[in-house]
Amino acid sequence: MPEKKLKRDDPYFIDFPKRIKAIQKEMAKHGIDVYLGSRLRTLSWTVDAFMPWRSYIVIPPEGLPTAITFVIDAARVQDDSWLDQDHILGYGPMGGQDQVSLLSGLIKPHLKAGKGIIAMETGMGTYLPEGHLTLFEFVMLKAALPKATFKNAHDIIDRLSLIKDAGTINRFREASRIVDIGHKAVYEAICDGGYKNMTETEIAGLAAYAMRKAGSEWEWSFTGGNEIASGYRTGLAAGACTPASRKKLKTGEPLMVDLHAMFRLGLGDHSHNYFLGKATKRQLWHAKNFIDLLHKCLKAYKPGVSPTTLADEMLAFTEERGFQDYMVPGFEHGIGLMGDEWRIGLNDGPFEYWTNPDHVYKKDEMLICAVQYACPEENVGFRYENPILITAKGCEFLSKFPLSIDVV
Amino acid sequence: MPERKFKYLSKEWTEEVGKRLKKDLTPEKMKHITSSMLTIYTNCPDKKTRALYYKLKDGVVESVSLVEGALPKAEFSITADYDMFAKISRAELKARSALMSGKMTLKGNLVKALTLSPTVDRLNEVIAKVPTEY
Repeated sequence: MPEKKLKRDDPYFIDFPKRIKAIQKEMAKHGIDVYLGSRLRTLSWTVDAFMPWRSYIVIPPEGLPTAITFVIDAARVQDDSWLDQDHILGYGPMGGQDQVSLLSGLIKPHLKAGKGIIAMETGMGTYLPEGHLTLFEFVMLKAALPKATFKNAHDIIDRLSLIKDAGTINRFREASRIVDIGHKAVYEAICDGGYKNMTETEIAGLAAYAMRKAGSEWEWSFTGGNEIASGYRTGLAAGACTPASRKKLKTGEPLMVDLHAMFRLGLGDHSHNYFLGKATKRQLWHAKNFIDLLHKCLKAYKPGVSPTTLADEMLAFTEERGFQDYMVPGFEHGIGLMGDEWRIGLNDGPFEYWTNPDHVYKKDEMLICAVQYACPEENVGFRYENPILITAKGCEFLSKFPLSIDVV
Repeated sequence: MPERKFKYLSKEWTEEVGKRLKKDLTPEKMKHITSSMLTIYTNCPDKKTRALYYKLKDGVVESVSLVEGALPKAEFSITADYDMFAKISRAELKARSALMSGKMTLKGNLVKALTLSPTVDRLNEVIAKVPTEY
């Protein structure tokens, strides 16, 4: 299999042919004749290109896979991918070139007399761009391949992508370094009264500019890019999603800056919090609660810990300190190359397609430590997010911006 | 003297097409492309399926041959009814419209096909000038 672009000794090198072979080995084990991937996370993990349009990958039992995307973006995807131009195809509204014709044409040669097992990716998600096969796509493919059997098999890629390799980890480290540059730019812009007359969207933009200058490809989050909230918007009840608004920053209000950068599909995601101009004793009490909790949380992540055991420990601390009413009771979300967001681990929990609360973390898993503090009655709230890597004895938090809530 | 007309998809018509393509299309006009293409005509008047096989090397139309039966491998294949191709040859219908309507199907890499489409149009323009009896 060809290797393109990055050399093996490049810190961001990922052995994609090895990934494909690993998938093919699992396919053989499960009696799958051909794998049809459609999720964004699958495409990133196998193609090594950002594929924003509806896309698919057909993985044969051996040899190179073929990815299909909207024709207007196929040449660019090919330019970014390790795959050659014969294995990145474009679809369009033309006879023989629509999605179903192309997919069935790629799948058929791997079926015996039209019979065989086709792996597909379906399910349910909180993440809108997940990319599960749609009902219409399924019905059309079933009609085109009537003797074949379709089997939901995304677990194969979910399992293989759980433990991160060195190239992936380094891409995340670089994305986090870039996010820290964005935070530095925000800090420099808002300190000493610089925030006056600024809006949340302006903060989002100036951070984006600094991060783009540093090499970020995109403020990747589907939640509006850089999420900025000030005043009452920081403390929305049970909230953890704040696309920047046109709200003006005001003295005495909290400001939450949640920045996102992307580097070679590795994702930076870090939130930092401020008080603008001044803070009351009560506001500082909330801030101390939050920071103390985060120190405790970051010390707790290690192999053997599960979301439940960690939440129990953290919530006990919040009760001991009397701020349990302000905590959103979750401390993490999943993360992987672009498109792999939200659920942690495999789909093996009590609620389908949600994190299994008893998932036990292992070395080289990554997650976003995500903690949200919200006190709506006082119009105050904070968010912490940071990609963390589970190490042999603890965790490495990839964004290094100092952990504090600053009065600027 | 009336102009000699060639019967569409006959051996003579194919030879004339090949002759004109070689004469009229320079490698520069054909962007030095190397490729192969099949145009597959279904439902010919005698109910048979026929194909034209074009071989281009470095912008030179090396050969145009009429195929019946087993089809050779080609980088691109375009399939449509005889009538549909006839309409395109008579310039009554654009190949692009036929493809967009789904009445003509293309097999091959669409990105490459779109890149090559102006070049293929040049080829069709030459073919359209061959006096043809449908």
